Amino acid sequence: MTSIDVQDLTKEYGSTRAVDRLTFHVAPGRVTGFLGPNGAGKSTTMRLVLGLDRPTSGTATIGGRPYATLDEPLRHVGALLDAQAAHGARTARDHLRVLAASNRLPERRADEVLEEAGLASVARRRVRTYSLGMRQRLGVAAALLGDPPVVLLDEPSNGLDPEGIIWIRELMRRLAREGRTVLVSSHLMNETASFADHLVVLGRGRLLADMPMREFIDARVQPRVRVRTTEGAALRELLARHGYDAVEGADERWIVHHARVDDIGRLISGTGVPILELAAEEGTLEQAYLDLTATEAEFAAKTPKTSNQPQEA
Amino acid sequence: MPFAPVLHSEWLKIRTLRSLLAGLAAVVVVTAAFSAIAGLDASSDEDFDPLFSAFFGVSFGQIAAITFGAQAVSSEFQGGALRVSLAAVPHRGRWFAAKATAIGVPALAVGLVTGFVSLAVGKAVLGDRGSGLSWGEGLRGVVGCGIYLALMALFAAGLTALLRSGVATLSILIPFLLIVSFVVGGMSGTVADFLPDKAGQVVLHETAEGFLGPWTGLAVTGVWAGAALVAGAWSVRRRDA
Repeated sequence: MTSIDVQDLTKEYGSTRAVDRLTFHVAPGRVTGFLGPNGAGKSTTMRLVLGLDRPTSGTATIGGRPYATLDEPLRHVGALLDAQAAHGARTARDHLRVLAASNRLPERRADEVLEEAGLASVARRRVRTYSLGMRQRLGVAAALLGDPPVVLLDEPSNGLDPEGIIWIRELMRRLAREGRTVLVSSHLMNETASFADHLVVLGRGRLLADMPMREFIDARVQPRVRVRTTEGAALRELLARHGYDAVEGADERWIVHHARVDDIGRLISGTGVPILELAAEEGTLEQAYLDLTATEAEFAAKTPKTSNQPQEA
Repeated sequence: MPFAPVLHSEWLKIRTLRSLLAGLAAVVVVTAAFSAIAGLDASSDEDFDPLFSAFFGVSFGQIAAITFGAQAVSSEFQGGALRVSLAAVPHRGRWFAAKATAIGVPALAVGLVTGFVSLAVGKAVLGDRGSGLSWGEGLRGVVGCGIYLALMALFAAGLTALLRSGVATLSILIPFLLIVSFVVGGMSGTVADFLPDKAGQVVLHETAEGFLGPWTGLAVTGVWAGAALVAGAWSVRRRDA
């Protein structure tokens, strides 16, 4: 097993607690999105997992072992922390050759991962000539160098162009399909929603949620149904009789809160109310996340509770 | 983790940075050039030392050597490079030992070459005035020059790891070497003899004045370099990357 286990992890810088008694588990075979606002402790946690920072207390292990005890760690764990880490005066290929040499990886791996990252044609150019997106690709290439079963990526879509974003998304999904453990931090909700299967959400260093993404959204955002009709009054009356609350939007569109499209469709079908459009509005990760952070702010000292209020995003 | 691949990696880091290679080349060129200029100064007074005249350029060449040592370490403290290095090699003590070896060995080799070139140039320029130099003195100067430059590069490397900044290191060392040492340079038989540069340069003089001989002087410089490396290693091991 090559899962990441964080147990009661705490990191203090002076009097500030960047990571506060954090416990979670990242399983292989799926992409785990690591969410939280800037400064929530995502990067600090990743550094602690990689043994770069020393925890104040608690442990972080990979496959049951602390990172620092891994022999030739690039063969076990690949990480992208900072796209600026490669020296500007070195070529991308040399940057990877240096890393490969330290872990006795064959030099052809450098060429293979450069190919995979779409950098083969610029492999012998100095990194200082690279755009942020290209540096990010180089950082991902470095993470894949040792073909590791565990991959940690800190904000990998930073600075990527639209093609790059699709590339990184497909890459992460593929790595998970291959049975690897993939932990990806982000503060972009829509982006995370497009690749994550599971979520670990942090707020001010503490764990706010650790659950499958679908479950996270469904628990926090009630589904809504959008209906377009020429007879709004009749629709509202009909729905009100069945206990649904319909609110009129623009262009004869009505939003039915707390409703599933299957129920509303059946309900309207026999009534003669003309329906021009009927659509489900699934809750989004963004709505669920905002709901979570709102309850967090409200009950900062308490354990966050699941709210059933829908959010207008 | 075995040491050899880590050393290989650190050596590749130096080889793949043009500025570091240029720094090593500068050690030879600057030293030889200033030794030649010193030799041309015909005003020989009574404490004229032909051996030190041939190695006079070391005072300036060492600036290139410490810049090399500082830069090779300071590149790790830019943009999170250290994190990438330590994620690849989590054994920090071993990593820093490999780094120091990858700095010290080429610095020694280049230092020896510098010694040969500087002595050859210096003797050529001195002509008859250098004829009193024995073969043994010349060899001592060349070997001493190599060791001295390597130790100064390592001294700077250790200090850079401790201060986590090449700029900080160089802005302490360069004024120190250029100003402080010149000011106290004339004073022999004082504590100043034990300064890292003054102690190590005794080996480049035909006659030793003051407390230290050629090899004990180098040993004192070695202690400075060793202390800086130990402090640097402590910092690398102790602190968050």
